[in-house]
Amino acid sequence: MRRQTLLFSAAAFAALGLAAEAGAQETLAQVKERGHLNCQVGLPTPGFYALADDGTWSGIDVDMCRAVSAAVFDDPDRIEYQSVTSAVRFTSLANGESDMLSRTTTWTAVRDTQLGMTFAGVNFYDGQGFMVPKDLGVTSVNELDGATVCVLTGTTTELNLADYFRANDLAFEPVTNENVNVIVETYLGGGCDAYTNDKSGLAARRSAFPNPDDHVILPETISKEPLGPVVREGDENWSDIVRWVLLGMIEAEEVGLTSANLDDMMESENPKVRRILGVEGNIGEGLGLPNDFMVDVLRSVGNYGEVYERNIGADTPIGLERAGTLNAQWTEGGILYAMPFR
Amino acid sequence: MAEPARTFRAKPDRPAPAQTVGAVGWMRRNLFSSPANTALTLIGAYFAYWVIATVVDWALLDAVWQAETRRECLDAVGRSGACWPGVFVWFENLIYGLYPKDQIWRVNAGFALLVAWLVPLWLERVRSKVAIGVSAVLAYPVLASYFFLGGDKGFLWSASIAAALTAFVWVWATAIAERRTGRTLGELVLARADALDADPRHHRRLLFYTAAAGWLVAYALVALWYLPYVTTNDWGGLFLTLVISGIGITFSLPAGVVLALGRRSELPVIRLICTVFIELFRSVPLITILFMFTTMLPLFLPVGVEVDQLVRAIVAVCLFASAYMAEVVRGGLQAIPRGQYEAAAAMGLGYWQATRLIVMPQALKIMIPTIVSTFIGFFKDTTLVSIIGLFDLLNMARAIGEDTDWLGLFIEPFFVVTLIYFAFCFAMSQYSLNLERRLDTGQRS
Repeated sequence: MRRQTLLFSAAAFAALGLAAEAGAQETLAQVKERGHLNCQVGLPTPGFYALADDGTWSGIDVDMCRAVSAAVFDDPDRIEYQSVTSAVRFTSLANGESDMLSRTTTWTAVRDTQLGMTFAGVNFYDGQGFMVPKDLGVTSVNELDGATVCVLTGTTTELNLADYFRANDLAFEPVTNENVNVIVETYLGGGCDAYTNDKSGLAARRSAFPNPDDHVILPETISKEPLGPVVREGDENWSDIVRWVLLGMIEAEEVGLTSANLDDMMESENPKVRRILGVEGNIGEGLGLPNDFMVDVLRSVGNYGEVYERNIGADTPIGLERAGTLNAQWTEGGILYAMPFR
Repeated sequence: MAEPARTFRAKPDRPAPAQTVGAVGWMRRNLFSSPANTALTLIGAYFAYWVIATVVDWALLDAVWQAETRRECLDAVGRSGACWPGVFVWFENLIYGLYPKDQIWRVNAGFALLVAWLVPLWLERVRSKVAIGVSAVLAYPVLASYFFLGGDKGFLWSASIAAALTAFVWVWATAIAERRTGRTLGELVLARADALDADPRHHRRLLFYTAAAGWLVAYALVALWYLPYVTTNDWGGLFLTLVISGIGITFSLPAGVVLALGRRSELPVIRLICTVFIELFRSVPLITILFMFTTMLPLFLPVGVEVDQLVRAIVAVCLFASAYMAEVVRGGLQAIPRGQYEAAAAMGLGYWQATRLIVMPQALKIMIPTIVSTFIGFFKDTTLVSIIGLFDLLNMARAIGEDTDWLGLFIEPFFVVTLIYFAFCFAMSQYSLNLERRLDTGQRS
C-alpha cells in the first residue's frame, strides 16, 4: 500500500502542471453546460457523506455540495457524486474529474500550497482523540506509554499519532489497516489497547458498539483538523462561489435565517438579512450567480445550524453535541465566524 | 461302472468380512489404518466440527433475522450472532448497485438475453455454432449496453441496436431451423425462393436482401423503443463486477491469441510491437494501470471531453487481461511439438491454415486449466476498481457497514460476498473440468 501511495502522489504531482491550465476560470461555465455538479465525496462515512440503501447521499459534506448545486442551478440535486478513496482524491480534483471535493479534508499548508488546491473554508472543526475500554482504567493519553494503538493508514491521523507520542516521549505500537471497520473490529476484539481517530469518528463508531458505555473517549485532542470543501487552484470565481455559499450559510444562522422562516424574512428590514437574501446589494452578481442565490440554498438545504443538527447533531445517531464546541457560532463561544456578507 | 463324473461345484461366496466392506471397510482402510492415521482423522474431524459448528452457530442459530437497525441486533445477541437484516435491506444494492429500483428489470433482461443468446451453443445438431458465438461476442454487447444505459439514441446507435436485434433473431431462427431440418437458415431461405441452383452471387444478394429486410423491421421497432437513461455512476454491485470482468474476459482471449501469435511471428516489427505491449502491461500492477487510465487520461484530453469512468476502467482491464492471456496462450503454443508444424507444412497448409486447424485446437485444449484460472483471477481482480470509486460488489459490501443504521456491520456482508465470489469461481472451475473431460482425446492419461 505504501508504494502505491507514493506512486499516486508522484502521478498527482505530475498532473498538477497540466491541470492548472486546464481548469482556469471556467468551472462555473463547465458545470452549467454539463447540467450537473461533479461532487467528490469519500467512501461512505456516516454523518459526513453517508450512503443510504436507497442510493441517496446525505451528510454535512454532502449538504455542502447540495448548497453549491442549489446556488448554481436553483436545484440541490443536480449532482453526480463521485466516491473515491482518499489516496486519489486530489488527483481526481486536479484532473478536472471533480468540480469540488467535500469530504472531511484537513486544511494544511502543504495541501494548500503544493498540491494545486484551494481550500474554500471550514465546515467542521475536528480534532484527533483516543478511545479506550473503560476497564483499562486510563484517563489520559499520557498514560498510554507502551500501548498498542489502532489507527487508519494513509491519513494524517497516523502521522499525528507518531508526532504526539514522540513529542511526549511515549512508546507505542501501531496496528494499522485501511478499512475502518476492520480497525474497529480489531479494537473491539482486544487487538489493541486504544483506537485513535478524529473525535467525530470516535463518537460515531462508539454509538454502534455493543456496549457504548464500556468505552471512554479521552479528553485530550492531539491535533487540529479543520475540515472543509476544496476546489482546484486557478479558478478564483469558482472558489469564491463555494466559499461564499458556505459563509452565507453560517451568516444566515447568525442572523436567524432558517429554511422555515425564509419567506417571512423576505420582508425583513434588517440589512444583514436583506443582503443575504439578495433583496439588497449585488453579491450574487459578483459571483456570476443571481443575486438571490442564497434564497435557493437556504430553502433547499438550510443554514449551517440546520445542516449540522440534521446530520451529526445531538439527535442523530452520530450524536455530536454542538454547544460549547469549536463548531458553535462565535457569538456562542465557538470559533465559527463568517466574514461579513456585504 | 464308472463313478459319476464329479463336477466341481463352487460353494456360494461367503460375504466379505464385515470390517472390510461398505462404509466401515472404507473407513478402516482410509481413516483408521494406523495409529497415526487414526489420530490425524480424529483431530481433523474435531477441527471440521469446530469450524462448522462455529459458523452454523453464528450464521444460523444465534443470528438475528428481523431488525430495523444494527442496534437492535446488538441488543438482542451482541456480537455472537450474525445480523442479517442489514444485508437483506442492502441485498438489492449488492447485486445491482445504485441502479434505479424501478429499472432493475433491465439488468435482469440484459442477462437473460445473454443466456438466451448462448443456449443454442449447447444444443445438439446446431451447426452454425461458430457464427452464433461470434454474433454473441460482437452483437450482444451493443444490445446489452442499450438495455443497461438507455437514453436517447441517434441514427448510428439505433442502427447498431437494430443490427444486434436482427442478429439475435437470426441466432434462434437458424438454431431452430438446423435442429428441425438439418439445414441452415440461409439454405432454407434460398430453397423457399427456389434459388438453390442459382449462382453464388445471386445467393449472396438474396441473403443480403433478407437480412436488410429484417434489419429494417428491427430498426422500426428500435425507433419506437425508449428506455430512460441510467448513468454508469449508478451501476454497481455484482452487476458491475460481471460487466467489467465479462468484457475483460471476452476481450482478452482473442486479443491474447493475436498477441501471442504476434510475439512468435517471424516479422520483426510485429514481434517487437507485441513484445513491448505484453511486457509493458504485464510488468505494471493492474492497480497502477487503472489509476493511470482513470486519473491521468483526462489530463491528456481536451477540456470538456469526458470519457466515462467506467469505460476507462474497462479499457484498462481489457489491456491488462490481454497481456496476461497472451503469455498463457504463448505457453500453450510452445507445448505443441515442432513435428506438428512440420506435418502441417508437409500437408501443404499455409501459416493461417496450420495455425487455425492444427496448432490452435491442440494448444487451446492444453491451456484450458491455465486459461480458466487466469479468468478466475481477472474476475477477482475487478475488485480493484473500488479504489477509483466504482461501487463493485466488494465496495458495496463495505458501504453497508458505513450506513448510519447498520454502522459497523461488515462481517455479514463480506460473508455473503465471499459466498457469491465462491459460487462464481467454483462454477467457472467446474465448467473448465467438464470442458477438459469432453475434449480429452486420450493423449494425456
